[in-house]
Amino acid sequence: MTDEEFYGQTLYTLQNAEKYLLKLIAEYQELPEIVVSDSFVMNCQSRIKSAESMVKKLKNRGFKEDLHSALTNVYDAVGIRIICGFIDDVYKIAAWIEKREELEIILRKDYFAWPKPNGYRSYHICLRIREGSMAGTQAEIQIRTMAIDFWATLEHELKYKKKIPCEELIRKELKRCADEIAATDISMQTIRDMLENGFCENKEDTESSYF
Amino acid sequence: MRLLLAEDEKALSQVLVNILEKNNYVVEPVFDGLSALKHLETEIYDGAILDIMMPGTDGITVLKTLRKKGNRMPVMLLTAKAEVEDRVIGLDHGANDYLPKPFDTRELLARVRTMMRVQSVQMDESLMVGNIRLDFATLEMSSVGGSFRLSGKEFQMMKIFMTNPDIPITEDVLFDRVWGTDSEEERQAVWVYISFLRKKLKALHANVAINTVGQESYQLEDVSHDR
Repeated sequence: MTDEEFYGQTLYTLQNAEKYLLKLIAEYQELPEIVVSDSFVMNCQSRIKSAESMVKKLKNRGFKEDLHSALTNVYDAVGIRIICGFIDDVYKIAAWIEKREELEIILRKDYFAWPKPNGYRSYHICLRIREGSMAGTQAEIQIRTMAIDFWATLEHELKYKKKIPCEELIRKELKRCADEIAATDISMQTIRDMLENGFCENKEDTESSYF
Repeated sequence: MRLLLAEDEKALSQVLVNILEKNNYVVEPVFDGLSALKHLETEIYDGAILDIMMPGTDGITVLKTLRKKGNRMPVMLLTAKAEVEDRVIGLDHGANDYLPKPFDTRELLARVRTMMRVQSVQMDESLMVGNIRLDFATLEMSSVGGSFRLSGKEFQMMKIFMTNPDIPITEDVLFDRVWGTDSEEERQAVWVYISFLRKKLKALHANVAINTVGQESYQLEDVSHDR
């Protein structure tokens, strides 16, 4: 089944929502304080979930496999992925998005604070557009660091492999890689804070309190 | 290396202090068991030499209390020649060595050196303070919220904090223990690694934190009530 066949006219609404959200994120990058502080977004990707993978997801979760069900039960028909440099950037842009009045935040999941058992870390926001021709359209925004994104590409490949040699060992090693990457992300952030705040005379805990 | 010496005979204590200091140990003498306990609970030492027979609290009681609290610092007991029973009890309660009086100073020094050397061997494989575990084999610091493998320096520093919870540790002590007294590294390195550890502890949702005490000291503290 093609995407047009599955989504029908709604496909255009989804595509518009996708464009709308990308424009919104571009706006964030133009903010003077963001331009100055180098907290820029490294990369931004987007997609409309293919009919095939949407049907599969609905089936797996035991929902009816039609358009209405897809638009109500699944948040990520429209998916945006934002890749940042540092962890603090992830939280900064997430906070900015969550404050947008034109968006209704349905759900947020902080997998940096509470990683998945496989080691996955990311910040997910499920949202609904409030007004205009796209009102009611739902989307999912994933925000993560470059380093974690790099990890996730390999983890994603693993998902689609049928037969994996020494599977348990491979998964354990991949989880270890995720932990190492997270530790590196934290160290990088700490060094960046030190460079920005100076090598303090002040020995108190100066860091931001995102966790 | 900083040693605590608990010996109630003033003259002997003075002799021991002289010998040890001449051999580059920093020695803090106390003259009864209670003061020994107080010092061991509030300050950080690399090892202790305890006389068994002391007024009030004896050396064995000091040792037992120390071990019950999870303190694994190297401890040597000084015993009178006839106290076979005491030596056995002492060793069974976690003394690393004993030395019967009277002793030759060369033997004392050799035994102190040995005691400091074997310190790492008798350590457990992991240590837990609050909800944070430190694994000595893998250098992993973990909680239910996840786990991080620490760098060598981070690990050594965290180990000092976790073996001495609630005790203020000066920047100098941390520096000397992690980098060594001869290191050319800047003292600020201590603060750099503490910053790394603080962020990692937070990311693990730790209920302990490395707090700053006064101008120059840091202390691992329970912060479970702060949240």
